[in-house]
Amino acid sequence: MRVVVTGTPGTGKTSATALLEDECTVAHLNDEVRDREFWTERDEERDSLVVDVEKLEAWVDEEYGEASDDADDADDVTIVESHLAHLLPADRVVVLRCRPDVLESRLLDRGENEAKASENRESEALDVILAEAVEEHGVDSVYEVETTEQSPEAVADAIRAVVAGDREPSAGTVDYLEYL
Amino acid sequence: MSETSEETWGIAHVYASFNNTLITITDQTGAETIAKSSGGTVVKQNRDEASPYAAMQMAEVVAEEVKAAGIDGVHVRVRGPGGNLNKSPGPGAQATIRALARAGLEIGRIEDVTPIPHDGTRAPKNRRF
Ligand SMILES: Nc1ncnc2c1ncn2[C@@H]1O[C@H](COP(=O)(O)OP(=O)(O)O)[C@@H](O)[C@H]1O
Ligand SMILES: [Mg+2]
Repeated sequence: MRVVVTGTPGTGKTSATALLEDECTVAHLNDEVRDREFWTERDEERDSLVVDVEKLEAWVDEEYGEASDDADDADDVTIVESHLAHLLPADRVVVLRCRPDVLESRLLDRGENEAKASENRESEALDVILAEAVEEHGVDSVYEVETTEQSPEAVADAIRAVVAGDREPSAGTVDYLEYL
Repeated sequence: MSETSEETWGIAHVYASFNNTLITITDQTGAETIAKSSGGTVVKQNRDEASPYAAMQMAEVVAEEVKAAGIDGVHVRVRGPGGNLNKSPGPGAQATIRALARAGLEIGRIEDVTPIPHDGTRAPKNRRF
């Protein structure tokens, strides 16, 4: 089963999924995009590589098996983690959320520059990734998890619950528009 | 009062999130706010129907206010997943623009200035949605 963990940078995807590495396979896609050059062009303004989704998808399929091959097999789980992960086929899609002002501080504390922290804050306030995830996968596959007041351990538990089938799909459970 | 027949234009900023829409109309420089929607949250379970409807109602109120302030037309800046003009209309954004037009405002340039989540990598702009 392929579970993707997506969310705006700063929502805590890498921190939470790192806690699951002993119990399942975890792929951190941002590193792979850079290391394996799965990109088409540079966005100079954002100092970012524009991902080549087809190449990335083919590689993930090859490396970890295709999504839905074993859609309900909770013993053979691959967690694919990145703010791009929802662009890939998936059996379940976890979308981590964080209040935009808190997310911005997390990114600044992590050492990111103000322009990057600020555009990600706005993206989170406007539900950009949630909307893309729902558009791509449908509401029945999406599991929104509010992380603002939760520890990475608690977030990892929420992901475990999704994998185990102990959580209902959800989307649109937060409204961050006032934090624009 | 006005001595010329020249039209006065403003900017309509439409913020369209998954289940909420906010509209602000400013002067051309963006400095002065002429009208602001109340930003009513719509019924969450009913996203598909409720959101465009709420957005339309807000747009009508805002349009009346800015017309009363002497604005004839607006350029539109859409931010938000409801604002990707290449996709099927998301809740809010398209409905808002149509309602502004119906209320008698001229619609000028429509720009999509949705922020892009990025972390050393980013998604391409025209995804296969
Ligand atoms: N649940 C949390 N509570 C508070 N801070 C967190 C939490 N999860 C992550 N962080 C901190 O926030 C920053 C972003 O976390 P990270 O895991 O890198 O997010 P992402 O991978 O989603 O960009 C890091 O500095 C991390 O230490
Ligand atoms: Mg990360």
